[in-house]
Amino acid sequence: MKNIYLLLIVLLISVTSCQKFSALEKDPNRPGQVPPSLIFTNVLYSSYYSPWSDVSRWNQFWCSNYAYYNDQTYDWTNTNFNYTQLQNVKQMTEEAIRVGLPANNPYSALGKFFYAYFFVDMSMKLGDVPMTDALKGLDNTQPKYDTQKAVFKQSLAWLEESNTDLQQLINSNDNSLVGDFMLGGDLTKWQKVVNSYKLRLLITLSKKSSDGDLNIGSTFSAVVLNPSKYPVFTSLDDNLKFTFNASTDKYPLNPDEYGKTATRNNMSATYLNTLVALKDPRTFIVADPAEAKIKGGLHATDYEAYVGASSGESLDDMSVKMLNGEYSPISKNHYYGSYLGEPCIQIGYSELCFNIAEGINRGWVSGNAEAYYSKGIQASWTFHGASVDANWEAYYAQPTVKYSSDNATALTQILTQKYLAFFNNSGWEAYINARRTGVPTFLIGVGTGNSERIAKRFQYPSSERTTNATNYHAALTSQFGADTDDINSEMWIFK
Amino acid sequence: MNMTNFNLSGGYNITPKLRVDANLAYGRQYTPNTPDVTYGPNSIIYNITVWAGADWNIDDMRNYWQPGKEGVQSNYEEYTRYHNPYFMSYEWLRGHTKNDMKGYASVSYKFNNYLNLQGRTAVTTYDLFRSEKMPFSAHPYGREQALGDYREDKRNLFENNTDLLLSYDQYVLPKLSVHATVGGNIRTYEFRSSFASTDYLNVPGWYNLSNSKNPVKSYNFDAPMQVLSAYATADITYNDFATLSLTGRNDKNSTLPSANNSYFYPSASASIEMSKLVKIPTVKTWKIRGSYANVGSALTSRQIGTTDRALGLGVLDYGTTYYSPYDGPTYQNSSSYNINLIQGQAAAGYTGTISNPKLKPSSSSAWEAGTDVGMFDNKLRFDFTYFSSIDGPQIFNLPISGASGFSSALVNGIKIQRKGFEFTAAATPFRNKDGFSWDISANYSTYQQFLKEIYPGVDKLNTFLKVGDRLDKLYESAFVRTPDGKIINDGSGRPIRNSVRQFLGNANYDFTAAINNTLTYKNVSLRFQFDGRFGGKIQDYVEKKTFQGGRNIATVQGAMGIARLNDTKGIKSYVGEGVQVSNSTAIAYDSDGKVTNYDQLQYTPNTTATYLQDYISRWSGTNEATMISRTFVKLREVVLTYSLPKRYLQGTFVNQANISFVGRNLLYFAAKSDMDIEQYAGTNFGSDLQTPTQRRIGFNLNFTF
Repeated sequence: MKNIYLLLIVLLISVTSCQKFSALEKDPNRPGQVPPSLIFTNVLYSSYYSPWSDVSRWNQFWCSNYAYYNDQTYDWTNTNFNYTQLQNVKQMTEEAIRVGLPANNPYSALGKFFYAYFFVDMSMKLGDVPMTDALKGLDNTQPKYDTQKAVFKQSLAWLEESNTDLQQLINSNDNSLVGDFMLGGDLTKWQKVVNSYKLRLLITLSKKSSDGDLNIGSTFSAVVLNPSKYPVFTSLDDNLKFTFNASTDKYPLNPDEYGKTATRNNMSATYLNTLVALKDPRTFIVADPAEAKIKGGLHATDYEAYVGASSGESLDDMSVKMLNGEYSPISKNHYYGSYLGEPCIQIGYSELCFNIAEGINRGWVSGNAEAYYSKGIQASWTFHGASVDANWEAYYAQPTVKYSSDNATALTQILTQKYLAFFNNSGWEAYINARRTGVPTFLIGVGTGNSERIAKRFQYPSSERTTNATNYHAALTSQFGADTDDINSEMWIFK
Repeated sequence: MNMTNFNLSGGYNITPKLRVDANLAYGRQYTPNTPDVTYGPNSIIYNITVWAGADWNIDDMRNYWQPGKEGVQSNYEEYTRYHNPYFMSYEWLRGHTKNDMKGYASVSYKFNNYLNLQGRTAVTTYDLFRSEKMPFSAHPYGREQALGDYREDKRNLFENNTDLLLSYDQYVLPKLSVHATVGGNIRTYEFRSSFASTDYLNVPGWYNLSNSKNPVKSYNFDAPMQVLSAYATADITYNDFATLSLTGRNDKNSTLPSANNSYFYPSASASIEMSKLVKIPTVKTWKIRGSYANVGSALTSRQIGTTDRALGLGVLDYGTTYYSPYDGPTYQNSSSYNINLIQGQAAAGYTGTISNPKLKPSSSSAWEAGTDVGMFDNKLRFDFTYFSSIDGPQIFNLPISGASGFSSALVNGIKIQRKGFEFTAAATPFRNKDGFSWDISANYSTYQQFLKEIYPGVDKLNTFLKVGDRLDKLYESAFVRTPDGKIINDGSGRPIRNSVRQFLGNANYDFTAAINNTLTYKNVSLRFQFDGRFGGKIQDYVEKKTFQGGRNIATVQGAMGIARLNDTKGIKSYVGEGVQVSNSTAIAYDSDGKVTNYDQLQYTPNTTATYLQDYISRWSGTNEATMISRTFVKLREVVLTYSLPKRYLQGTFVNQANISFVGRNLLYFAAKSDMDIEQYAGTNFGSDLQTPTQRRIGFNLNFTF
């Protein structure tokens, strides 16, 4: 019995031997510090807009005819800010310094690009957003809003710095960028992204070209005319794009999805009917012919066999017509055929060509607009796999396609072709360009909701009403003349 | 579920003053399958109740493999979203095994009759193993390649409480006894878990992690914690009718920032048997009681799910997470990165919550007062309790402007008051041992929760709740209506849905009530109980989903039935209730979703015919459509018992024998009978799919030897 007694005493002592008390507060399951490359991967991914999304439906590239899952309505409510992504950009630049990188390093240089990218992205959905007071944590939990103009001005400055910083790093053969699953850490490619993106911002500001603070035309020409200081994309290889794989990141339409979504979705008129009207060979790649047209005697090689539905059509009508084979489904072969689909361009060469063409057309810089216009179309063809050699001559002979001698008509041609090239690429750009220029005309009707209007912005995150009320209300009043967070109010950049 | 338990205990007086005790209890739960019932293709309820067609015979599905494709391809009516219920029941298995072990050892030394010193160490542990064998051709959300999977979820909890306590037990005066203890406790805690999953299988039917087609996904989680405590208690009793109990405890908890990791909490309770103090005619017993208690806690949670969820990741897009007891650290107050995989590479995202080095423990206090009375020889009895508690200041994520770079800051704040009362009355109108007796009891209880405080400068919680509001207000998607309440339809003849959620009622019931009768006549007794909850609102998710799935009987009856048939012919014929705006004016809303231009709107009755399916899609997609009353009443139990008269048992070894007919859940009264509201006891907004509550009917045979 004495042995048992001893055993108990030993037990008492052994289980109560102290652990290091203060060390236990920390979470052992998540790191408190990480190399900047891990955050870079996260930041890059969070900048990515996927194809076949809600956004691409609001771009009127495709339609859902099945109300249970999706529709085409523009009854927008709140959207999120981008400060989570921006805080990560900030963390990334801080961790880069912590691990001992010099003040100018790839993470800080690209951090400036991402600051511009996320602030602009958010401002284009909302209008004014907090910037100078933002990202200060507990030091400022109620940040004031900056004007959309200030956001663009600061973003252009960040892009200028980013270009300079990248040039320095390239000159010193810096190869310390890790975690870059889009461009493989190639800083020369990133420099092209930064400057091509800068041209996008300047084009987006076209309605403000006379603004004395922004110097849009001269900034634009400075980039276009000085490719050694401001290199931009020169081919499709330079695209900032998301590439799909068969295991971790499958193309959103793929063989797993075909049975579920193939008949629920169809092509939209705004996109497909424009291709058809122009007898554009991309028609045969992106869509399948309407079944009823084939039954009626047309062939898959006839443009007339391809029909998109108006995004404004009532969903019940659209679903019945789709059931009756009156509309073109999404191409089974091209989009549902594999897990790889096609890469999704975020910032691309075609867009750059059209941007330069537009800048020339607007007189911001001298040059051959027609040449850029043609290169833009051809690049988009090549991207989708339409043969330039086989089709270009006949295509370009059409007066609807041939770059017009009338400047206004030519601008519409540029914008139309730019829209076609944006198909399922570049996030909101198709919508933003249509809002800016009215090209193409977005279709409306019962199906688009919002009392048959295309919404002009989102409402601010609803949390702003409670967490930052004073600044929120002030921002609404100063922008829209009324304290109403209205999705149909015009933001500064398009006024 | 199978269960096995055993228990060992022993004690020994080594000397008259020294005693050792030890106890060990072991329990094992195990089952080869714990089916999922919540919404999704992995649930039989989803597959049958909501989405199964009515145009095929379920008996044809018994042979659930396709001939020649056994083990690879199941047989069903549809192959992209739904599953054969037999296939799910026999092939898609979620195993569960849990071993629980509890034990203690103690040594006590009695100095004298009133002073005792005890050392005790107690261990509580469990280990849990859950597995999922997903066969080829099963294709829940996110697993559309349908190549099977195997998963293991392992969790291990160890907790040791070691106490040293000195106790004193003595009549300090005649009639006044004191029982007091002082002690210290060390709580040593560690939770470890892991979760691993294949990413599709190579070999069908071989469920092993090494059979993964793509790299295995695996996660681990480790949560050590320590709490050091000192405590004292005193129970003082006077003349066996008045008692006063006091406790005080101080904890030092490793989960908190070191500046504020030590905290004290007291409790007190008292009761007096008044009937021993004052004599009132007809009152036989009368007791009054009151208590107060305060409890502190800190950054721990009661339950934990799978490891990936504990890490803030959700590896699976389907299925229910099984929660097991935890009481360990949440690590909410750690500034850290979340790691996930992007294109196969590790990526890090910073926390959205700002940590707080000044965080204090959370606190909650409760008090209650009550009395019970027995009159007329205890043939009439009453019991009344009033209770009130303040939960807070809690630890909560204070939402801050996202523009700060964070969505919230961890702070102390929010006080929630919970108050209510319970009343029970019982009576025995007839009591005749050899004839007729009748016992009846009824009870009534009610409580509500109110938001008492949020945080300085914050006037709303969760967008809608203000200080003073009930906590269970439901704000959900709603129709836009005319001032006199008619639904406004859009140009396509479907209801317009408000873009801002609207108040649709309170979730909590107003009160619960029960009535229980026992009627006895000689050897036969009948007992039956009705009970229910009254008031409150809930969304009937079964109704919503059966409308969407075309499985609701209403979709084949009346106007809907006619329209449903017309849908298939391409004829729009369903005209929904309500009006349309007739003067082509856009409806304007304020930021709360209230219509601001009623004075400019003109209406005509809705005349636009639409397809029923599209109408239902919009209608049922608006949560207001399927809100129902939370009220229900059940005939909970009926027991009819016959006891064999004693005289038949004389001379046998049987002391007592009776036979009972027992029925449970015999009747259910509610707004809709497609679900059992009782399964949703909390203040959640909606129901879910559920395992139907069973009506049970049976016999009990009871012998006493």
